[in-house]
Amino acid sequence: MSLFSSLRSFARRIIHRQEVDNDLDDEIRSQLELMVDQKIEKGMNRDEARRAAKIDLGGVEQVKEQVRAARTGVWFDTLLQDVRFGLRMLRKNPGFTTVVVLTLALGIGVNTAIFSFMDSILVRQLPVRDPSSLVTLNWHSQLGFTFSMHCDGCTDNSTKSGIVADIFPYPVFDLFRKNDSLFSSVFAYCSARNLSLIIRGRAGVAKGEYVSGDYFRTLGLAPGAGRLIIPDDDQISAAPVAVLSWGFSQGYFGGPQKAVGQSVVINGIPVVVVGVAPPEFFGVDPAANPDIYLPLKKAPVLTAASSVSITGAWYLDQNSYWVQMMARLRPGVTLAQAQAALAPQFHQWEQSARTTRNAGTPLPFLVMGDGARGLEVLRDEYSKPLYVLMTLVAIILAIACANVAGLLLARGAVRRREMALRICVGAGRGRVVRQLLTESVLLASFGGILGVFFAVWGVRFLTLLLANGRANFTLHAKLNWQVLAAAAALSLLTGIFFGLAPALQSTRVDVMPALKEVRAGQSRTRGRMGLRQILVVSQIALTLPMLAAAGLFVRTLSNLQHVELGFNRENLLLFTLNARQAGHQNAELIDLYNNLRQRFSAIPGVRRVTLSASALIGEGWWGTNVLVSGKTINTRFLSVGPDYFGTMQVPLVLGRGIDERDQSTSTPVAVINELFAKANFDGENPIGQHLTFLNKAHRELEVVGVSKDTRYGDVKRAPAPVVYFAYNQGVWPVDDMTYAVRTASDPLAYVNNIRETVHQADPRLPVQNVRTQAAQIDQTMSQEITFAKLCTAFAILALTIASVGLYGTMSYDITRRIGEIGIRIALGAQRGDIVRTVLGKGVALVTTGTVIGLCASLGLTRLVASQLWGISTTDPRTFAAVIAVILVVGLAACLVPARRAMKVDPMVALRHE
Amino acid sequence: MTVGQANLLQGTLDPMILKALAVQQMHGLRISHRIEQITKGTLQVKPGSLFPALHRMDESGWLSPSWGESENNRRAKYCKLTKAGQRQLGVETDRCCRISLAIARALEAS
Repeated sequence: MSLFSSLRSFARRIIHRQEVDNDLDDEIRSQLELMVDQKIEKGMNRDEARRAAKIDLGGVEQVKEQVRAARTGVWFDTLLQDVRFGLRMLRKNPGFTTVVVLTLALGIGVNTAIFSFMDSILVRQLPVRDPSSLVTLNWHSQLGFTFSMHCDGCTDNSTKSGIVADIFPYPVFDLFRKNDSLFSSVFAYCSARNLSLIIRGRAGVAKGEYVSGDYFRTLGLAPGAGRLIIPDDDQISAAPVAVLSWGFSQGYFGGPQKAVGQSVVINGIPVVVVGVAPPEFFGVDPAANPDIYLPLKKAPVLTAASSVSITGAWYLDQNSYWVQMMARLRPGVTLAQAQAALAPQFHQWEQSARTTRNAGTPLPFLVMGDGARGLEVLRDEYSKPLYVLMTLVAIILAIACANVAGLLLARGAVRRREMALRICVGAGRGRVVRQLLTESVLLASFGGILGVFFAVWGVRFLTLLLANGRANFTLHAKLNWQVLAAAAALSLLTGIFFGLAPALQSTRVDVMPALKEVRAGQSRTRGRMGLRQILVVSQIALTLPMLAAAGLFVRTLSNLQHVELGFNRENLLLFTLNARQAGHQNAELIDLYNNLRQRFSAIPGVRRVTLSASALIGEGWWGTNVLVSGKTINTRFLSVGPDYFGTMQVPLVLGRGIDERDQSTSTPVAVINELFAKANFDGENPIGQHLTFLNKAHRELEVVGVSKDTRYGDVKRAPAPVVYFAYNQGVWPVDDMTYAVRTASDPLAYVNNIRETVHQADPRLPVQNVRTQAAQIDQTMSQEITFAKLCTAFAILALTIASVGLYGTMSYDITRRIGEIGIRIALGAQRGDIVRTVLGKGVALVTTGTVIGLCASLGLTRLVASQLWGISTTDPRTFAAVIAVILVVGLAACLVPARRAMKVDPMVALRHE
Repeated sequence: MTVGQANLLQGTLDPMILKALAVQQMHGLRISHRIEQITKGTLQVKPGSLFPALHRMDESGWLSPSWGESENNRRAKYCKLTKAGQRQLGVETDRCCRISLAIARALEAS
């Protein structure tokens, strides 16, 4: 009953504030009148009666206060009062408010964005049923194990201890499937790479994946539309069916429902779309994200037209490693148990599969891994930059918090007098502290709210940054609310603690010394000033390593971009045509490629055109064994078309390049690079020498020219010996060819023309992978570019925050000492001396910070050594530049307050209160 | 004895006010006079304690205030005891008696 009444009157008081207050006022005043009357009756005159009555009452306002204090919800009134006052105080100091709020918001927002990303990449699980019971299957082997590898399995040859791979022969898949006790099911898959499509007469290209019949069932997915691939589809004799990805069905058919039942021609074979995968599904490898899923047993039919076709024999061949596998453990079976049971089976199988060729080489052994997050590819690619990012962000957050702390401490010092005054006129100490606390909380709240926005934008921005222009980037990082809450809590705590500390300090001391302060903030305690100095120094010290890292990354990027490639990358358009997949063969295939080349040269604005089996940079390299000068060596090679060296602008040192006169009927020729010549024909004239390719065609080539060395495959790797030969002379099978078109102006302007030309020649032939050479090279450096951009951005941010902190501290210092400065000037000190004193202090701070930061950097940069190229971790030029930047910026931050000190008018300063 | 802070004697102020109002509705000044009367001058309630107490009891639902005219035709706020207030008076009376009895016994015990 009483609670209800309390709440009711509380509500009434809020809704009818003014009325309630007036009512109270009336009540007390009316009582005063009654008391006056009483006194008059007793015989006093009016004035005396009034005075006596007022004394008796104790003062109208006081009584009203006491009534208010006794009511429920008085805390609410005081809170409202505090908040209103706090807001007013914040508005009065826009600079301070902005800096603190922005600092906090950046700290919270950026931190959350990064961690959300980290979470998405490193921790996110596959969007399938119960991902934790999935396992991946890999094998490890010492170096020396030989096997035939096909398809795009994951092989890591870089480990010093040997080979790690996840591709297996198909018979092993059959073997593993027999383990009913361990696995509820096993599935196999293999990338189909680029598929040539014809949808409703339009030619196109899509990424495909061959999957076994149990793929979707094991993953526990429900179709987005239609049905998914089942074991019945995965038979050699079954009708070819396909399942599309959600995004692909939207793009090509306008919706998943519309795609079901449609017929599509894939690599020349008509296939029926039976269903669409659910929306969030991207396959088991976040980097792959296939558009079309096809049954594994239909691979021979679908690759019949390719130069590398999967034949029926592959399913039985014990030495062809080409399928990747994953499995789902039975409930109750652990990874360790499955590994212990399966590894011996695999080992035994491998032993029985030994042929005479690889007898004596080390055997691979099975390793199973946690499959909840799918394959590791994307994670490996991005985990490094993200760890670096995490460190940078942690540093920035530290600097930001130090900044906020410093500013709040400075504010606290300045307001000591105000606090003392308040206590004097009757505010309780608790009240004053609560007031200051409210201000801090308000600041932290604004910072938090803005931080949320920054976090959302940050995630979007990061996605853009890391995608680096790739169209189908599959990482959609979601905002991680826990991290947001943690960062917000941290900032709130910082705000409260550093806002509170001066409050408690200033309310504990004797009020008289505080009141006696003639100028605001003229405290004699040195402790707090020391803390602020430490904060500024630490901020500068933290900024220096970031600047150093940024400098090193920028230099690395610059080194990479200026690497001597050996050819001219400007104004070069690249694109790939796979006429074989579109149905052309043998001589007709080569005629088509040649024909197209001539048509391209006829386009206005095109200077030269050539073609090759792959682009020079960014697509690996071809290598095989050749017989030269009586020795068998392994060399790199490239199959090229006429005018290759002229188009790519690779100078020829001797003889000629591959050109029109090299036909299928003429003598097969080769052009070698200088390194090859030096390695194999040292001293002699290579022209006229012969070399033989030791592949199935076994052609003997005559050397007709020597070219200058170029980078081949990778910008970072040094040039190696290379043999070039004509693609139409039967040395190596012809498959897809990459055209290089040297244009007069921006290459991308010619794309439509190119597409038209190809369409006229053969409407079923799609133009794939259009890009400029410059862009392709940039793509190979995408990680370095990312690092450089991010580090620079963060370094600038850190520098800004640190210099703001420095400026703030110096500024408050001057304000504190204006009186002292005024006196000094009045007593005859030169303005120059004043400036020198003030500046001296600032410079001391900056220098201390720089020295500490420098020592830290020299040690810390070693951590990023693996990301650098062509530059050492202690590069003196970079560090000199960084130190210079910090000194200049620091000096500038001190200069503005110093100028203010210089302009002090002693009369004004002395009167300033 | 002047009722100042009312912390210690809050327990006694409430029943005094309720008792004073049991007879008829009154305004603030009269209530404090009445309390002085019935305690034979022992308790003098200052406005600073009386008014908060009155408002508190209003919130608890023991009084219902209304504006009216005093003897001298001045406006004043009159407080009337509600049914709940009457019940509370009985409860408070009980409590006070028990406590004072207990205190008296404790002080007399040797």
